[in-house]
Amino acid sequence: MSTAVGRGAGESWRTLRTPLFVTGLIVLGAIVIMIATAARTSGPFSPDSSEPTGARALATLLENHNVTVRGTEDLNDALAPGAGKTLLIGPMGQLDRSDWERIADAGWSHIVLVRPGARALEALAPGVRDNGQALSNGSRAPDCDLPAAVKAGTATVSGSTYSAPPDAQACYGDGITNTVIRLETGGRIIDVVGSQRSFTNAQLADDGNAALALNLIGTHQDLTWYLPQWESSGYDGPDEDAPPLIPPSVRYIGWALAFAVLVVALWRGRRLGPVVAERLPVIVHAAETTEGRARLYRRSRARERAAAALRESALGKLHKAHGIPRRAEPSAVVATVAARTGRDPAMLYELLYGLPPLSDAALMSLSHELDVLTQEVRHP
Amino acid sequence: MVLTGRAGLLAAVGVVFVAVVTPRWAGVGIVVAVVLMVCLVDMLLAGSPRRLQLSRVGDNAVRLGEPAVVQLLVANPGRRVKGLLRDAWPPSAGVQDPPHKLDLPHGERRRLTTHLLPTRRGDRQADRVTIRSIGPLGFAGRQGSHRVPWTVRALPPFKSRKHLPSRLARLRELDGRTALLVRGQGTEFDSLRDYVPGDDVRSIDWRATARRGNVVLRTWRPERDRQVAIVIDSGRMSAGRVGDAPRLDHAMDAALLLAALATRAGDRVSLLACDSAVRADVRRPAPEDVLPSFVNALANVEAELVQTDFRVVVSQVLERLGQRSLVVLLTGLDPAVIEESLLPVIGPLLRRHVIVLASVADPRLTELESTRSDLIEVYGAASAARTRLDRERVTAILTRAGVTVVDENPDQIAPALADTYLALKRAGRL
Repeated sequence: MSTAVGRGAGESWRTLRTPLFVTGLIVLGAIVIMIATAARTSGPFSPDSSEPTGARALATLLENHNVTVRGTEDLNDALAPGAGKTLLIGPMGQLDRSDWERIADAGWSHIVLVRPGARALEALAPGVRDNGQALSNGSRAPDCDLPAAVKAGTATVSGSTYSAPPDAQACYGDGITNTVIRLETGGRIIDVVGSQRSFTNAQLADDGNAALALNLIGTHQDLTWYLPQWESSGYDGPDEDAPPLIPPSVRYIGWALAFAVLVVALWRGRRLGPVVAERLPVIVHAAETTEGRARLYRRSRARERAAAALRESALGKLHKAHGIPRRAEPSAVVATVAARTGRDPAMLYELLYGLPPLSDAALMSLSHELDVLTQEVRHP
Repeated sequence: MVLTGRAGLLAAVGVVFVAVVTPRWAGVGIVVAVVLMVCLVDMLLAGSPRRLQLSRVGDNAVRLGEPAVVQLLVANPGRRVKGLLRDAWPPSAGVQDPPHKLDLPHGERRRLTTHLLPTRRGDRQADRVTIRSIGPLGFAGRQGSHRVPWTVRALPPFKSRKHLPSRLARLRELDGRTALLVRGQGTEFDSLRDYVPGDDVRSIDWRATARRGNVVLRTWRPERDRQVAIVIDSGRMSAGRVGDAPRLDHAMDAALLLAALATRAGDRVSLLACDSAVRADVRRPAPEDVLPSFVNALANVEAELVQTDFRVVVSQVLERLGQRSLVVLLTGLDPAVIEESLLPVIGPLLRRHVIVLASVADPRLTELESTRSDLIEVYGAASAARTRLDRERVTAILTRAGVTVVDENPDQIAPALADTYLALKRAGRL
């Protein structure tokens, strides 16, 4: 008689609840950790980041000198009217050319560009060019008239270098390439700082870095600290009105297709009952040990042992074939075999009782000769 | 919950519907809803596989290599069940049929036949029976399983039984029962019969002749009612595969031939399969029951990867044998094992009984030793020669100790062991 097997709903729940609970706990933990760490590590040169590459130390320092620091990642904050305020633009991110021009038009009194790219320089600091040369970490003297730099003295500089137009004040350079450039155009001050690492938590305390940063950035009471993201506002798009390359309905067809694939997967994936397992016996070839020993002989080039085994085996056959007593002297064996086969007794003695072969070739020939000898005995 | 190809097809049609008619979220929603609805309705309409009643009849035991038939009776007290039925067995049970097609209306019964061809010795237990019941629309269905216990025992094949008639003929010669005009061999007095011209005159019993008035002959026969204990080593030495079967299977084959022969010769045979513990034990069954009880006992014996404890073997054999008997030990000729485990403990057995040690030789070794065309093979030949010399050495040691050693290739071991038994019987050593 039969009994139905299978799991009811309650049993399924009891089986599944522990894995579900553990998975939920892990997801919850991950979310909590993400939230907890997000505030402190919002990327390099962030005023909130306490990582070595962050700039929380600089932000705190500025606040201690009565500068209000407002960190933002939103382009609109950088486009707000900025008369009498400072805008600091971080080193990362990518903006469209038109966005840079809108920032230039916003009327900021003072803009600090940290390691800017070509588009930013073109829009905000005309005449300043990226030399494309990277400077290794090192201390440099200001070597210019800029009061902020002169007061700060030597600073640790590294990173990009720029060439300045004639009317700009260029500092921390070698005459051609400079790390800090101050440009005064149209009633506003533009600072280009190539050395991003000088102002990070890691290096702010070195040399005159902190003084340089305070003097450069802390000119106004209100500082907007803008970190550009990898975004595009779409203003640069030359053909916005053109039809999209992919028709929008493809998306829905894709979803319908995904559902169809799921249905087919369920159809094909369902087995007709579980796989039946069984305990299998161990299968080892009986000759395995012998073959293993052969490999050991070969690897350790045990010609001596191999030759001894082959000779003993051949002798056994000769004993049997010629009716020689098992404990006969070598000379007697050689004499008997020589008499029967007509071979030279000295050669036979060498073959059967000689020294072990010194090379693989010698072993091969020994094996061959023993083989021939025993064959001869069998078919004289 | 089971889906069919039709459900997939319906979903594929849904893709076309979304593409052509409504490329919107609404279209996707309609397709999903329709497919789910149809499948759900079909599933609910399908007959319940769990309510089926199943039972089995059929073969319980089969000789390995021969087919077995197990029938499954399916009764349906509920709604019509249409779909597939899989009678699941372990792989080595060798199920020959694909899943059965099932169409079972309410209140009917069906008989489904599963053909098995076991590939290994031992008990094969039926796993579950899984039924997939597809709904009337053919889009989805239900699936459920039942346990319907059944066991098919695959018995040792006893391939060597083809050697039995020739050995029985020789046994009859020994017995003197064949129509040969020579004195029956053996040492035990059998009976007196009238002289027939041509009989060996040395067998004439003169005293009986004088009493009876006509010439009477004395006949002899070999000893009867002796005990033969067959001990099969099921330890690691029997695990090695020689040819296409483990040494253990060859040993069983030889043991069965010997048991059949010895039973016909009037001896009482008992069986012991042993490694570190006793795995099979048959003590002096009735003559007609010898082979069935042996094959049943041996069916589930597998070689264990442990070293055989010969102290257990010796104490077990001593315990069950009173008079002087023949002990046949089927094991391997591993020099280290024989010298370190068997020889130190075999003394008590040797003093009281006649011991034959039978071992299955590996033809692969002969092959290894004779091929020497390159360096790798020369090392192989040297290694094989060393193995053979070791075996010969241990054979010599055993022979000196008084053990008869039979070391033959797998296809020869059973007849060779039978011949050894006949030779011992002829020599009157039992």
